Amino acid sequence: MATELTIPKLEMSMTEGTLAEWMFESGDHVNEGDVIYILETDKTAREIESPATGIITVTVADGETYPCGTVIGEIA
Amino acid sequence: MAQGNLGIEPEMLKAIYGQMARIRAVDKAIQAGLSSGKFTFTYWPMTGQECIPATVSQLTTERDYMVTTYRGIHDQVAKGVDLYGMFAEALGREGGLNKGKGGSPHISDPSSGSMVTSAIVGAGPVIANGLAISAKQRGEDRVTIVNFGDGATSIGPVHEAMNLAATWKLPVIFMCQNNQWGEYTPIPEYTASPNFFGRAEALGFRGVQLDGNDPAAFYKGMKEVIDSVRAGNGPVFVEALTYRMGPHAGVGDNYNATKDALAAAKERTPIEKTRALLIDAGISSEDELNAVEAAAKGEVDDAVARALASPVTPASETTVDVFADDTCVPKRGVYPVREAEAELTGETKTMTMAGAIVDAQDVAMAANAEVFLLGEDVGDPHGGTFGTNKGLQTKYGPLRVRNTPISESAIIGAAIGSSIAGMNPIAEIMFCDFMGVCLDQIANHAAKQRYMSGSATHAPMTIRMQVGGAIGGFGAQHSQSLEAWLTHVPGIKVLYPSNPIDAKGMLLSAVNDPDPVVVLESIMLLFTQKAEVPTGDYRIPLGVAKVCREGSDVTLISYGWELHNCLAAAEELAKDGINAEVIDLRSLVPIDYYRVLESVKKTKRAVVVHAAVEFCGLGAEICSTINEELWGQLKAPAIRLGADYAPIAYSREIEMSQVPNTDAIVARVRASMKS
Repeated sequence: MATELTIPKLEMSMTEGTLAEWMFESGDHVNEGDVIYILETDKTAREIESPATGIITVTVADGETYPCGTVIGEIA
Repeated sequence: MAQGNLGIEPEMLKAIYGQMARIRAVDKAIQAGLSSGKFTFTYWPMTGQECIPATVSQLTTERDYMVTTYRGIHDQVAKGVDLYGMFAEALGREGGLNKGKGGSPHISDPSSGSMVTSAIVGAGPVIANGLAISAKQRGEDRVTIVNFGDGATSIGPVHEAMNLAATWKLPVIFMCQNNQWGEYTPIPEYTASPNFFGRAEALGFRGVQLDGNDPAAFYKGMKEVIDSVRAGNGPVFVEALTYRMGPHAGVGDNYNATKDALAAAKERTPIEKTRALLIDAGISSEDELNAVEAAAKGEVDDAVARALASPVTPASETTVDVFADDTCVPKRGVYPVREAEAELTGETKTMTMAGAIVDAQDVAMAANAEVFLLGEDVGDPHGGTFGTNKGLQTKYGPLRVRNTPISESAIIGAAIGSSIAGMNPIAEIMFCDFMGVCLDQIANHAAKQRYMSGSATHAPMTIRMQVGGAIGGFGAQHSQSLEAWLTHVPGIKVLYPSNPIDAKGMLLSAVNDPDPVVVLESIMLLFTQKAEVPTGDYRIPLGVAKVCREGSDVTLISYGWELHNCLAAAEELAKDGINAEVIDLRSLVPIDYYRVLESVKKTKRAVVVHAAVEFCGLGAEICSTINEELWGQLKAPAIRLGADYAPIAYSREIEMSQVPNTDAIVARVRASMKS
């Protein structure tokens, strides 16, 4: 079953986040716990770890800001 | 290595580490789930504070009560709360411990002893006192541990709770997890206190400061404290020093802390320190600890997977668990027919309303040892400021009729906690105007406990409040009619008797009701009327209005002392040939719309009268329902009459005119008759 990746809501006041940099490309194998992208909020930059092991598919570009909950890819 | 060097039995240290590993696995799973977007709930991390509950868990059992806060996931895990139920609750799922209705900040799991979790800072300690009262009163050796942060020490109810617990020598431990932060504000910015445990001494009980990050020292200190409290030596305030590594809410590091402060705190985090100690002391091998951590992760992974598979709690559950009986919930278009009381027969005695209230409590206390009374000055010789408890302390003793400090939050909190433990407390609040200082306990805790816990726990308590007004001279803070404050909060029943017979029968129903009930007692009525009140036990059912005067031209709907003004107005109107029906609602929640609508169908006109301010009062609600349901059948729209929009004045002339009097009611009815 594919695991959807979405922009998380890390803070009560957070409404959007900037996907600063993808650390993997579509088709790469990732392990659970690998840092898959860097998320910047108005408070911090945070390394986001993969929630699953599998092949990652990236569906949005980095360097852009997205609302919380936006689907940004999946791991299958 | 010998115990002497470690200061703790090696097996105990391993057991504490095992609990810390479980807490860490839960913390990591939540942070990972939130970071990846898999979870979308709010998290208040307790990272860095794991040692405190992990150690306490070795000294307590599920029989001991715990109260904690929204930042209490570590407390829940160590207390033995089922992890699947906890994750499902945090995710708002049917399989949650509380049916997904409370969420992680409101876990209530009596099977593990995790009784109440509050998201209102500092509200837990007053409730913990009630749990402790139940244990003490029943002769049980349970201790109650209430967890709260250092930030909570600034709010009033914590002080009230400490004072009451010390006065009554309750078996409760105030566990102040001093993580150095009150939400986003660090300690020197919100208090000048050099410490927190010293406040206990000021209130006449024992306070200790312990290193909450050192399992050996903390275990030793807590063992002595818990043994002492269990032995009946009264409460202890424990200031457990720790550090919150995370932010107030969310995931990651505590970004409000300086890099240096965070680095220094990291050196002292209990999990890493304890792990290193176990290996250095030769107690555990690296492989053994890896296995402990893997087992914890396995338990958590399994819980999360099952929780995610549980369905989201559906909207069909919306009004379930508001009350024990869903038919008490007011719903547009649904007006249940409730059976009225049978005609009261048998022996009677002449009583005032005050006397009837004393008698009701006497009957309830004689029938059930779990009924007790608490409030300011309720003991003899006064028996309450208005004598509504006279003679009861003499008859039942100071433990069943408890004089309290002037401390309304502590009174209501104690009633809540003891009722959650299954007792049936009656709390007296001298004037309903004082509700303002305990409304958090009434509205956020008593009223919501059943719902937030998905009926895992509930608060079957009674609150009696005296209501001023129509007497003159009590002023703006002792004369208000505030029933609408209460009726607007789902989960609390509200009664307002108008005569001694109803006052007794309704109070007995309230005490035996499974939900929290507020009974409003008009001071004006306490001594101004006498009635032949049945002796012994009888009940006036909740949600049953009574037609006090039959009529055909207009229905007057009222309650409490305004009911008597309505009856007088009806006699005036009769002189003009207007035949008014007068209905005494008696119960405001649940409300008897069935009998109200049946009456107005007949008379085709309605005037709702109350002493409360007209604007946004209950009258508006009742009129709206009548107008919506009977539109087309009415000869005139239902109208309301309440007090003018002003505080109650000290001047007798103003007070008597600003609140509906007989003349005003007559005039309002005549206006309706013109339509």
